[in-house]
Amino acid sequence: MSIFSCREVRELAPELALGLLGGTERAEAIMHVDECARCQALVLELTETADALPLLAPELEPPAGFEHRVLSQIHSRRRWNRRRFVPTMAAVAAVAAVAILSVTAVHVVEANNSSSTVPRSAAARAPVAVEMRDTVAGVSAGWAYVTGGHSVAVTVDYGVSSGRYHVQLTRADGGAQSLGTMTVNGNRGSWTGRSARTITRGSTLALVDAAGRAVCHGTVTTGA
Amino acid sequence: MWSVSDDALVAGLAAGDEDAASAFVQRFQRRVYGLARTIVVDDRAAEDVAQEAFVRAWRHADAFDHRRGSVVGWLLTITRNLAIDAVRIRRPLAFDPAVLVGLDQPSGEREPHELVQLGVDTERLRAALAQLPEEQCRAIVLSGLLGYTAREVGEAEHIPLGTAKTRIRAALIRLRAALVSEETTE
Ligand SMILES: [Zn+2]
Repeated sequence: MSIFSCREVRELAPELALGLLGGTERAEAIMHVDECARCQALVLELTETADALPLLAPELEPPAGFEHRVLSQIHSRRRWNRRRFVPTMAAVAAVAAVAILSVTAVHVVEANNSSSTVPRSAAARAPVAVEMRDTVAGVSAGWAYVTGGHSVAVTVDYGVSSGRYHVQLTRADGGAQSLGTMTVNGNRGSWTGRSARTITRGSTLALVDAAGRAVCHGTVTTGA
Repeated sequence: MWSVSDDALVAGLAAGDEDAASAFVQRFQRRVYGLARTIVVDDRAAEDVAQEAFVRAWRHADAFDHRRGSVVGWLLTITRNLAIDAVRIRRPLAFDPAVLVGLDQPSGEREPHELVQLGVDTERLRAALAQLPEEQCRAIVLSGLLGYTAREVGEAEHIPLGTAKTRIRAALIRLRAALVSEETTE
């Protein structure tokens, strides 16, 4: 539970809506907003107003040839996008490998400390892939890997604004918790960590921003 | 193509229709470039930001949901986030934030077509801004439109951080209250 009271969150709500909060304040405010419907409603209202302010910017004629350059960029990226899948998978495999290694190391330690450790099946240790999709646009933002039901690796490489996000786990029974914080820079970011509770089929992993919005999410549909 | 709705243009963009993509850029390029240029100040950086905003809009077009807001609001949110990411150093402001958002202009200058498409009534928002104390208006334009942090607002306005935060908070709450009360009295 967040250390903030409703009164404190209501005071911070405008800054949260404007994306001005940072660090611990932001994280704690988001935790509160996640769990408090009244504060969440206030933040959403203020966010709607804050998001309208850019409409007031003056209009300006872009430099000559702008439209042509935009359209040719779209054409060139369209071809590039089809190949994007390969490097993305390579990046995911690298992160997943780190996760598998760390889980294996934990098992070795456990085995040394206690002879009663029940060896898990190889199947349980095979990572389960979860595609993380942009909540608004539905496009692929990256991947999450869940290994052994507890170890989590998340990597994003598209469409997520720079900033810090909570890696939030919502279990199939509806319970939600933050597993940690992930930093995204230049659309890229990765995070590895553990969930104390077992991540089962039907659980959802999401990146949650300052305003308490899940910017991308994916649901575990197989194994685990 | 100019009579086609914003939503239909986005649908065409998602379907890979080149005419729709072209019309989409033509319709919004002045807004997107205007916002980018306002935030990043530099011409070249503004063009990079504006180009990237359109490329993102194209990539996300297939899942744009009009029930969640207007096309232009969505596009400008993308633009604003990219522009703030692109800003490294804040230069001293060469303009008055109140003048920037057109509070000094008569409200009749915008085309009716535009007001309908915007989803949010910008004239109403402008009127609500004009009702704010001047220092609150400046603070909310700096933070909400130009992406200044509270600390940057304090530096630009030569006021303590706490005062900057107080002005930003008060301004956004008053704007919201003004917009809500006008909605309910109609
Ligand atoms: Zn609350």
